[in-house]
Amino acid sequence: MTPINPILLGEDNPRDAELALAAMEEHHIADKVVVCHDGAEVLDYLYCRGAFATRQKGNPVVVFLDLKMPKVDGIEVLRTIKNDVNLKPIPVVMLTSSREERDLAQSYALGANAYVVKPVEFHQFITAVKELGVFWGVINEPPPDGSESAN
Amino acid sequence: MDWFTHWSIERRVLAGFGLVFAGIVVISAISYRNTAILIENSQLDSKSREIVQLLDSVGEALDATERGHRRYLVTGEVAYLKSYRMAVEQMPEYLRYLRGLTSEWPEQQSRVATLEQLIAQQLEAEAGAITRREKHGYEAVRHLALSGAAKNELERIHLVVTELDSAEQRALHARVAQSAGNTWNTIVLLGLGALLQLVLLASVYFLIHHDVAERRRVATELENRGELLQAANKELEAFSYSVSHDLRAPLRHIDGYASLLSKAAGETLNDKGRRYLQTISDSAKQMGQLIDDLLVFSRMGRQDMLRTTVNLDQLVKTVLHDLRLDLQGRTISWTMSPLPNVSGDPAMLRQVFVNLISNALKFTATRPEAKIEIGATRRNPVEVEIFVRDNGVGFDMQYVNKLFGVFQRLHRSDEFEGTGIGLANVRRIIHRHGGRTWAEGALDQGATFHFSLPLARSLK
Repeated sequence: MTPINPILLGEDNPRDAELALAAMEEHHIADKVVVCHDGAEVLDYLYCRGAFATRQKGNPVVVFLDLKMPKVDGIEVLRTIKNDVNLKPIPVVMLTSSREERDLAQSYALGANAYVVKPVEFHQFITAVKELGVFWGVINEPPPDGSESAN
Repeated sequence: MDWFTHWSIERRVLAGFGLVFAGIVVISAISYRNTAILIENSQLDSKSREIVQLLDSVGEALDATERGHRRYLVTGEVAYLKSYRMAVEQMPEYLRYLRGLTSEWPEQQSRVATLEQLIAQQLEAEAGAITRREKHGYEAVRHLALSGAAKNELERIHLVVTELDSAEQRALHARVAQSAGNTWNTIVLLGLGALLQLVLLASVYFLIHHDVAERRRVATELENRGELLQAANKELEAFSYSVSHDLRAPLRHIDGYASLLSKAAGETLNDKGRRYLQTISDSAKQMGQLIDDLLVFSRMGRQDMLRTTVNLDQLVKTVLHDLRLDLQGRTISWTMSPLPNVSGDPAMLRQVFVNLISNALKFTATRPEAKIEIGATRRNPVEVEIFVRDNGVGFDMQYVNKLFGVFQRLHRSDEFEGTGIGLANVRRIIHRHGGRTWAEGALDQGATFHFSLPLARSLK
């Protein structure tokens, strides 16, 4: 049940990242998680640039995005992904602290596949992240490779 | 003038226009009266002139008669009696006409009566002389032929005619003077009136102008304040946004790492240590709850509101369904009266019932049998009052004003849990719907929470 392609986590807060990893640890999918610390890094990974120029080709099975990130924020990254023919099929889950209607509406308008509010309670957080990781990373069938390299 | 400054602008303008109107009415009435007098005088004048003319004719006719009859007496020539015959024939007509013309003046009437009598005497005397001349010839009337048969009467007739004439002339002059005076008065009155109206209209204009200028100033100020308020609101929104995002992250970390620590080192800790870790977690969760509640409360104030017809019976049913977990293991006797349809935002009103019913459930938890009653009273055609009553622990009426405040609690948190935001939300939602909230209760004797809502239009 281990995913072939990695799960991409865009999270600027190292503690949140660590907690998310701890949650995924329980289902042994933590080693497939790539953590990026800002939006620019997420885009670098997706386009195989900068530090990720030499990475193995292929899109991640899912991208978890925090809304508030330095340099390029989650909404910007989401917009870029959904405007790119190659990246468009990647499921994007907004994982954020904000429950603001504005953010919800904007995310869905841009084509987010899910929107999850990080619960304060760790137990709930762990359950949420775990379920998300398992659903998108294991249960959900990723788009066929053909759509990833359309050109 | 103190009372005047207390009047509203509408009243003042109305008073101003009222005065102008009253002025117009008074001036019109006086002008009408003066004009009527002028017209009447001119009618009287023409009558007077007629009388004067008539008197001339009468005098001349009588003179001619006298001259004619004397010539006849001297010559016996019948042709000389022509004037006499005409006078006899016409005099009654003249006199009747004269009586008609002078009918309004008794003084003149009595003169006319005298005149009539004298004329009759003259004509009679002349008739006697003529008859005698016919029968007895010139000699019988010789002495009369020289002096005339009615010399005295004729003189007196001329006297009376002159009296009548001069009386009429006097009246004519008096009326001319009166008319001139009247005309002058009317002109002065119209001038003064116009001036007064101008002054009044100018003051009314000033009043309206002043009011309009004031209103314009207030509108501008309101607009400015609206802009300020909008800016403040935006700032507040940004603030609550960052609260929602940034404040929750460290709390999540506190709880997360406390859990990780308890998992990693829980077994090496003693009970005390584990309790401390638990307290850290609980406190973080509580603060998270407080922040969430505060955000909900702030959103309730800003969120756009729907206005649809809400079926409250249906709404309460779904609320009770959602609360079924809280109802497990409880003995509750419900009393539900039918609720009307109201106009409002279904999600917000749902929140109101969730809060009130959860409160009722919460504060009756210590009762062996909870009694909860939900009902409505309609006091007027546009509004309905709804209440939720319980037989729970109640509250002391001296703290009733604190009930609906944000984070105000009347019970210790180890007695009843909660952050104290529920009723504040209820109040905010009801106020946004244009209703009121109030409560009554007594310690240990239950509480009743009331709120009013506008009724749905179709079902008024």
